[in-house]
Amino acid sequence: MGARRARLDQSGVARLAVRAAAVLLALGATAGAVAHHSFAVHFVADKIVTVKGTVEEFTFHNPHGLLMLTAKDAGGVEQHWRIETNSPNILRRRGWSEDSIKPGDQVTVEGYPARDGSPSMRVYRVTFPDGRELVGQRPDPTVVPGQD
Amino acid sequence: MPRFASIAVAALAFMAWHSASAAPSLDGFWTVKFERKPSGQALIDSLPKGAVLINDTGAGELAAGDFAGLKLKPAAIEQVKKYNYADELKRENTCVPPSVVFYMQAPFPMEIYQGRDLIVLKMEYFDMVRVVFLDGRAHPPESAPHSKSGFSTGRWDGDTLVVETSHIEPGTFMNNGFSHSARIKLSERFRLGPDGNTLWLTQVYEDPETFAGVAARYMAWTRKPGEFVFPYECDSSYGK
Repeated sequence: MGARRARLDQSGVARLAVRAAAVLLALGATAGAVAHHSFAVHFVADKIVTVKGTVEEFTFHNPHGLLMLTAKDAGGVEQHWRIETNSPNILRRRGWSEDSIKPGDQVTVEGYPARDGSPSMRVYRVTFPDGRELVGQRPDPTVVPGQD
Repeated sequence: MPRFASIAVAALAFMAWHSASAAPSLDGFWTVKFERKPSGQALIDSLPKGAVLINDTGAGELAAGDFAGLKLKPAAIEQVKKYNYADELKRENTCVPPSVVFYMQAPFPMEIYQGRDLIVLKMEYFDMVRVVFLDGRAHPPESAPHSKSGFSTGRWDGDTLVVETSHIEPGTFMNNGFSHSARIKLSERFRLGPDGNTLWLTQVYEDPETFAGVAARYMAWTRKPGEFVFPYECDSSYGK
């Protein structure tokens, strides 16, 4: 009898635990939902930095394209930059593609620096030695592409 | 009495049919309209009194700690304090989609397919899809599954499509560490501008678990015939 009571108690506790978990889930009482990273949180929107270097790698997939660049800082020390584009879907409509930038290309990149001070940024503009330009995230989205 | 009831049912059916057949067409490809000044101010003016308008739509974003003046509940404040922004950059979190509370305002286009009893919104952002039932069905019980797009029903109020959405899975509210709960209720009003090719939307949110009062957003799109949304196909290899 005592063993049966104990089993009943255990199953009752288990049921309660399941119900409590279901209620917590339904209420969304868990920690904050992780989100795709925010530009405003991770980058400085009102500052532009410029880096000139050699492209090591370029990938062009959503949510962001990635440009890995080797450049030298003011002291001549080599730095490896992680430079992200805004969404490739948006950039495809402005003429970008997977082949827009190739390893070995010498480019000048202007962009919004990372808040954490690391060598990373969000691209505003990539300029090639022949003057060709690729425009990424514009400072003012109300300005039409090519006129900013 | 049965005769009266059948006449009433017929009248209601006629009204529903007439309302649907007179509804403006929202069909087509819509691209975000970046505006310095809202062209749909009339829709903004019809928001509930005291609603906090969140100014982060389109390309706008709010910085850490900026919640547009919304009064967060203590539990939400604690949640924000514990939020680790570095976690967003992890590979496993790169492709976590937002809910309808946030994804409608993203600077990506959408396609709308409008039927009499159903409207489908195909969003480019994270390949999200919304289904809005216009056939008068009720929302499911509270225990029904929640999803990032939730469960939506709609009706025409003159030339305005009114959509009510429940069962929304928790997700980011402003993409800066503050998340809404699964109890959030979303009310939307879609209306065409006078040119017939501008679409305005206001979203109104109530989520007493995470903030006091009412919050809202305003969005605008331009119809561009012959264009389509691209697949998003999020690739987590971007993450660290």
